[in-house]
Amino acid sequence: MEEFLKFDHVSKRFGKIQAVKEVSLSIKKGEFFSLLGPSGCGKTTLLRILAGFEHPDQGRVFLDGQDITDLPPNQRKVNTVFQNYALFPHLTVWHNIAFGLQVAHRPKKEINEEVQRMLELIQMESQADYKPHQISGGQKQRVAIARALINKPRVLLLDEPLAALDLKLRQRLLMELDLIHDEVGLTFLYVTHDQGEAMSISDHIAVMNQGTIEQLGSPVEIYEAPCSSFVAAFIGDTNFFEGKVKDIINQDYSRIEIEDFSDVVCFNDKQLTPGHPVYLSIRPEKFRISRQPPEMQHNLNVVPARVEEVIYLGSHTKYWVRVNGYRLEINQQHSRFFLDEKPILWEEEIWISWMADDGFMLDRYSEVDENLIPAPPEEMGEDLNGKPGNDTGKQNQLQRNQPGGSNQ
Amino acid sequence: MRRSRFPMLMTMGVLIFFYLPILMLVIYSFNASRFGGQWMGFTFAWYEQLLHHYEIWSSLEKTLIIALTATAVSIVMGTLAAFALHQYKGWLQNVHFALVYAPLVVPEVLMGMSLLLFFVSIGMKLGLFTIFLAHVMFCISYVTMVVLSRLQDFDFGLIEAAQDLGASRWEATRRVLLPLLMPGIAAGGLLAFTLSIDDFVISFFVAGPGSTTLPIRIYSMIKHGSPTLINALSTILLLVTFVLVWLSQRLTEERHR
Amino acid sequence: MNRMRQNKIDEWLVTSPSLIWLLVFFLVPTIIVFIIAFKPADPYGGFGTGWTLDNFRAFENTNFPLMLWRTIWLSLVTTMICIFLSVPTAYQLTRISPRWRKLLLLMIVIPFWTSFLVRIFAWKTILHPEGLIKKILVFLNLASPETSLLYSSGAVLLVMVYTFLPFSILPIYAAAEKFDFRLLEAARDLGARSLQAFFRIFIPNISRGILTAVLMVFIPALGSYVIPDIIGGPDSEMLGNKIAQRTFVDRNLPQASWLSAVLILALLIPMILNLYLRSRRLGKHSLLKEGR
Repeated sequence: MEEFLKFDHVSKRFGKIQAVKEVSLSIKKGEFFSLLGPSGCGKTTLLRILAGFEHPDQGRVFLDGQDITDLPPNQRKVNTVFQNYALFPHLTVWHNIAFGLQVAHRPKKEINEEVQRMLELIQMESQADYKPHQISGGQKQRVAIARALINKPRVLLLDEPLAALDLKLRQRLLMELDLIHDEVGLTFLYVTHDQGEAMSISDHIAVMNQGTIEQLGSPVEIYEAPCSSFVAAFIGDTNFFEGKVKDIINQDYSRIEIEDFSDVVCFNDKQLTPGHPVYLSIRPEKFRISRQPPEMQHNLNVVPARVEEVIYLGSHTKYWVRVNGYRLEINQQHSRFFLDEKPILWEEEIWISWMADDGFMLDRYSEVDENLIPAPPEEMGEDLNGKPGNDTGKQNQLQRNQPGGSNQ
Repeated sequence: MRRSRFPMLMTMGVLIFFYLPILMLVIYSFNASRFGGQWMGFTFAWYEQLLHHYEIWSSLEKTLIIALTATAVSIVMGTLAAFALHQYKGWLQNVHFALVYAPLVVPEVLMGMSLLLFFVSIGMKLGLFTIFLAHVMFCISYVTMVVLSRLQDFDFGLIEAAQDLGASRWEATRRVLLPLLMPGIAAGGLLAFTLSIDDFVISFFVAGPGSTTLPIRIYSMIKHGSPTLINALSTILLLVTFVLVWLSQRLTEERHR
Repeated sequence: MNRMRQNKIDEWLVTSPSLIWLLVFFLVPTIIVFIIAFKPADPYGGFGTGWTLDNFRAFENTNFPLMLWRTIWLSLVTTMICIFLSVPTAYQLTRISPRWRKLLLLMIVIPFWTSFLVRIFAWKTILHPEGLIKKILVFLNLASPETSLLYSSGAVLLVMVYTFLPFSILPIYAAAEKFDFRLLEAARDLGARSLQAFFRIFIPNISRGILTAVLMVFIPALGSYVIPDIIGGPDSEMLGNKIAQRTFVDRNLPQASWLSAVLILALLIPMILNLYLRSRRLGKHSLLKEGR
């Protein structure tokens, strides 16, 4: 599939803030593409540049080979579904949907047919004469989608369209969006801060942070192979480790030396040499937790630990365990439940284990990103990741220890 | 929880205070006595006299002409001013805003006086036209403030949506902004109209001989004329006002349906 | 940049009509007031050439200071009474159900829509020596048949309060409407008595509304003309009707102009204060609320 939508070194600044920094991005025709990131990361700005409401300071935007950077919004074959729907309150559902065609001065017959088609698509034929204030949030969103689709845009932009809806409705509409995408076959560009949404329906995701793209890939790639600590921490939860390559075991695996932790065997996909610094990300569900030490296998890492927090969630349990200065998050799925099995509780001494393949090396690491992972506080007054409100020198989840060991 | 009765009593007191004089006026207009001290019988006599009072009707005509024209002009200028103040920022708009805002707080005596001096200085003859010019001046301020507040509450995401769907700036303004702004513009216009009809002080200062508007006529009647006629006239005016207010309420309610 | 220049041109185009009209018919006349104040009177009622301080001296030995003081004092008292009446009323309005509230607000605003002169005339009738109220008071032995309710400072005050009360209720109500009444509940939960909560929590939080009300009453009150003219007597003369007297009765424009200049100066303080508070509240670079 050829390159259909392209951002070429696009930058945009607002006053002192650089909202988008030299972003280059290609989207294929017909795919469902998401821009994912926290608020302020620049995703909405990028969307608005594509829609034509912002003009980039640098860079160009190409749609199907044509440079549209300087075109005003009403001349682009791009339509947007806005976060708060932006339905025209003085027009009925019918007229809202018909708006684009009326502005284009299409013949009456065509407008009537198309609007009818759209109403059938969103299943709102009987509400055609209602005004926006008479319909529900979910219905408004469908009208907004129909209003945009009727113009047969080359790209449909969706700016956090589900943010204003409650959870169940959001999940429902997300599925409907997926259905519409499959049926209509358009390229969708979806902007959201909700990783669950992005992961569940996108073909590809661009994770954005502070104006740049941290990583671009399929949902699986992003989750299992994050290239930076930001991506690892923003999507799902993880545990971070910092260390040095100690020695190479064979061509695929190496041993990593981590301060205040045992040596860890890890898949050496980056082919690093001894002495090279390494940042590891290990997702909580990759660990196993057990009372007895597991059978030794090669490439299995085993470490003793003590349970500090237990949160039971029904389908799984989250544990926070302590290993020296480290506090690790572990997810245990309960695929089988035994009534007489004693659950693992606080203060228990247990064993954690994980396969060497499940530790992933990061390209970039920043301590700040740890704040993205919520962890239970150890004390009142601690901020999100264990840093104290006053300085009593408490420990955080990934701790590069103060020299001299832990100081509880 | 024991709630104090004081606020409720105060509110009732205020309302009675407001309506007592009005009520008395209406009653007296049917009173055959000249001073209202005693009730001397119910009569329509004063209303009949009123109907034959030619000068009052000619004053009314002049008042309406001025009010309608001043409202029309000030609606256009006031809406433009509101757009400018909303859309642009900077020193020009700060000056603009100060000029628009000032007539709202300056006492009418001053505005009337300064306009009189102005017209005299430039040698312009005082008459209905000078009243018209003066009325447009203060009406602009009211229309602007009303429309401006509507603009500030307006969701401009709707304009973006319209452009996104293919409308040019002008089309988006025509199809989306103006229809939704119309109630605000109408409200501003209604306010301007009422103020113009009711204006006495400024009109008095800049009126010429023969350009007596209705308020000016009423004033001279109050000072020199018969109170009974004014009673009847006042009652009619009150009635008209009530009807207009009721109408405008119905109109604003209907839009919300 | 072409776009920015076009923007500037657009701005001037849209701003000009109202700007020019107001410059010509508001600002320039105001400046002229100050100019004419220093010109001599002309026998035909206009003004002559040259400059003079005669207008200033004309008021030196009269009861001008007294009248000025009375104007300020009456305006102040009117303002205070209006505030005192408005606060409980506004408070009550926010406590009742929305259906009644709309009705009551309408009832408060309707007199504002009726003719100003009509309302003043109504009072003139009521307070008339042969009018109803006088009869009642005489009946209750609170007044003698000779006392005149009209043509006194008291009467002027009464009608001024009547006229300006809606201007005071509305802004205070607007502020009270935005007040979160759960704060009062919280205060009472913490042990405050109703009155304490009222003064410590309610009043400070609607102070902006009260300030607006003060300005909306005091400034126009200073310029009262019709009320003292119709209701007041010679010893309740205010600056406003003095100006009118000089203009229409004495046909002395320069003196009237001088008086107007004094009034403008008297007003400048509250007006500048108002603009300053507005700009401080709404951000440094604009006197208006941010639109976008």
